[in-house]
Amino acid sequence: MLTTILLVLVGLVLAPLAGGLLAGIDRRLTAWFQSRQGPPVMQAFYDVAKLFGKEPMASNPWQIFCAWVYFVAAALSCVLFFLQADLLLIFFVQAIGAVFLVVGAMSVPSPYSQVGAQRELIQVLTYEPLLILVFVSLYLATGSFQVSDILAHETPLLFQLPLMFIVLGYALTIKLRKSPFDFSTSHHGHQELVKGVLTEYSGPYLGLIEIAHWYETVLVLGVCALFWSTNVLMMIVLLAVTYMAEIIIDNTMARMTWRWMLKYVWSVGLGLSVVNLIWLYAKI
Amino acid sequence: MSTQIVLLVLLPFVAGLACYLLRASFLRALVVMITGVILAVASVALLSAGPVSYSPGPVLGMSWNMLIAVLDFALLGVILFYGFKHDNLLIKVFSVLQMLGLVILELFWVDHSAPVSAFYVDQLSMVMVLIISIVGSLICVFALPYMKEHEEHLHLETSRQPRFFLFLVLFLGAMNGLVMANNILWLYFFFEITTLCSFMLIGHDGTEVAVKNAVRALWMNSAGGLAFVLGMMFTYTSVGTLDIQAILASGSAAGTGLLVGMGLICFAGFTKAAQVPFQSWLLGAMVAPTPVSALLHSSTMVKAGVYVVLRMAPAYAGSFVSDGVALCGAFTFLACAALAISQSNGKKILAYSTISNLGLIVACAGINTPAAIAAAIFLIIFHAVSKALLFLCVGTIEQHIGSRDIEDMRGLYTRMPHTAWITITGILTMLLPPFGVLMAKWLAIESASGQLVVVTMMALASALTVVYWARWAGTLLAAPGDRQPVAEAQPALIRVPLLVLLAGAVVLSVASPQVYEAVVAPMTPGAANPIEAFYVYPLFAVLGLGVLLALRAARRSRAMTYSAPYMAGSNIGMATDGTWNGPMNQPVKVEAGNYYLPAMFGEDRLTTFVNVAAAALIVLMIGGAL
Repeated sequence: MLTTILLVLVGLVLAPLAGGLLAGIDRRLTAWFQSRQGPPVMQAFYDVAKLFGKEPMASNPWQIFCAWVYFVAAALSCVLFFLQADLLLIFFVQAIGAVFLVVGAMSVPSPYSQVGAQRELIQVLTYEPLLILVFVSLYLATGSFQVSDILAHETPLLFQLPLMFIVLGYALTIKLRKSPFDFSTSHHGHQELVKGVLTEYSGPYLGLIEIAHWYETVLVLGVCALFWSTNVLMMIVLLAVTYMAEIIIDNTMARMTWRWMLKYVWSVGLGLSVVNLIWLYAKI
Repeated sequence: MSTQIVLLVLLPFVAGLACYLLRASFLRALVVMITGVILAVASVALLSAGPVSYSPGPVLGMSWNMLIAVLDFALLGVILFYGFKHDNLLIKVFSVLQMLGLVILELFWVDHSAPVSAFYVDQLSMVMVLIISIVGSLICVFALPYMKEHEEHLHLETSRQPRFFLFLVLFLGAMNGLVMANNILWLYFFFEITTLCSFMLIGHDGTEVAVKNAVRALWMNSAGGLAFVLGMMFTYTSVGTLDIQAILASGSAAGTGLLVGMGLICFAGFTKAAQVPFQSWLLGAMVAPTPVSALLHSSTMVKAGVYVVLRMAPAYAGSFVSDGVALCGAFTFLACAALAISQSNGKKILAYSTISNLGLIVACAGINTPAAIAAAIFLIIFHAVSKALLFLCVGTIEQHIGSRDIEDMRGLYTRMPHTAWITITGILTMLLPPFGVLMAKWLAIESASGQLVVVTMMALASALTVVYWARWAGTLLAAPGDRQPVAEAQPALIRVPLLVLLAGAVVLSVASPQVYEAVVAPMTPGAANPIEAFYVYPLFAVLGLGVLLALRAARRSRAMTYSAPYMAGSNIGMATDGTWNGPMNQPVKVEAGNYYLPAMFGEDRLTTFVNVAAAALIVLMIGGAL
């Protein structure tokens, strides 16, 4: 019971803190790559704190509703992950958030948020099947969808599922909204999209969405961590290398179109998955 | 129990005739409503029974088996008549061949002295009876005000409602008979009645396109009927019985004859469930008045198809046919989810989504593990309720705004707030946890994880599903914030079925562990309860709390003034509908549209490929048994 409460607290409180910290480190590293100074590591928290201090403004009440549901679903999926629940269940709860983020953006008759919502749906369409296949591969390797059982697996899964880790990398890049897949909301407000799905959000509601995004980042990185869960040190190294790769990709790639993303990620992702899954079948 | 069985099958036939003969609309309404209540009560009363067999005694010295045989030929005669009337070669050929097969079966092969109980009611039958009798009756009640308005639009001189309600109500009896039948010839008889009923209902409006689509439905389902007859012949030569329970008990070890027979019967199920490449008849059925679509898509007709596939599952378990069924189903799930993306016609989205979900049910039957069978039954239940609700919502919206295009439903929330929130909630029950449809999908993916191709198709299809549902829900809300929703007037006979179905979708999801214990567990003895792993109650509690929190936050915002959408600085004043200062300083109103991705998922792009691939898979399924 005590462990459960502890795990809930870790998922609920520590996860977004880690996510925010990561966002800060991300900005520092990106700045370093671009020969800039960059903001303080804590900048992400200052930003969100400032957002919560602003006057609440919205285009309609549905936006507020959707922002809250997105937040709750993201936090819940993260907590479920730390409670070591079923991966598919965690994924579907996460999908609630994804759907409401889109619905909220669609509720405002603004071209930027409408286009952002449509593009966000295509992003969801692109990463969802890949994530499900990653979970299926974890099941095939360990015999369970339960995070607790996967953690109990004795050898690092990365050796059995190297291609699936790359597939997960695609999903991670899309989820983190990094180039070349950052076309539903961009880091750079001056582009043709402005801020896509987030255009119409401001103040505390944008703050909520930001925190929800931190939860989701931690969740996807948590799935990455499952690939080397036998050794804490190696897990950290794996995550560090993965995130560094994300930043490098973000900084070296231009944004592509959604057509390219759907075709490219589906074909490469499915190809890699099928090869890796056949590999597992051959072993069973 | 025998009273309930007789009542559930015969009452709709009698009530249907009464609807046809009593020409006063008041009496018709009374008959439909009373029949609905009796059917609902009888179906619930049946629930308390364990597995039970029943055979009605002879009437006027004639055995029922004989009577059914005679009626079979009469029915095929009627279908043949329509084949000649509409001059359709396929219908003629298929019905004549069915007659020939039946003659061989009835006169030369079948040992009529072997006792076969006519009806056998187990958990699966009970679930089906409940869905047919309760959801089906609600749709019939909804049809009363709907058809009145429908005919006012058409300016008919003489009402065609008597004929309409004859087939609508009779349909329920045929379906109840179908799902309780234990003699495979009886099953076939009711199977054919549903074919005829749907033909009559699709062609109801009598327009050129309605007749054309009805004829297409008839030939496709006649092809299924023929496959059914052939399937019975193969099965009988192999197992030597008409008793479905005995056929199931003989299992897939009984030999090639049985497996080919089962393959053919599954094929018959595919045609009825509009699996690709037979999807076109169900899409064509959209021309019928909305209650017909709702009935065909949720509680009757297509469910007869998946019922047959699911009913026969033990007979082909562990065989190549089973894998074939799983592949065909998963492919339909994927193909129709992809096709649904390219549609903006609300009814067409619902139709593709129905076929897609039926594909998932078929795939689960093919996977054939206890968890997969559980998923299939869950899907049947939850899909029936949510889909009936959504069709009735679209019908209500269409009568109000004169369009079924989801682009025309943009911002419907301000025009029809009541219907809009029911529709959105209905959409969410099809899409998100912790509602039943998603729970079934979760179970399905978990149980498919051993089959590489099937699970890959499920993963892709599941993601495609999110796109078309989320887009629709969002479209309904897309309106400026300061526009207050107008109050919406609705006849009670429209509002009550909508609310009852909505409550049903939610309450059944909450009660899913109990539903599992009551109906699924007895059918899959020894299997662990997978629903327990779903955290139904914690999820409902936390998410419910979250939604309440969100609603409270949204409600508190009513005091604030809503800001205008961002227009890159070109807004006109504080216009919240997104009007901006366009070229020549003229005000331009923002117009948005959804992405339908026709270049990728368009019907004209995918249909041919899908049909060919699906036909090949079906050949593989039946051929692999040889």
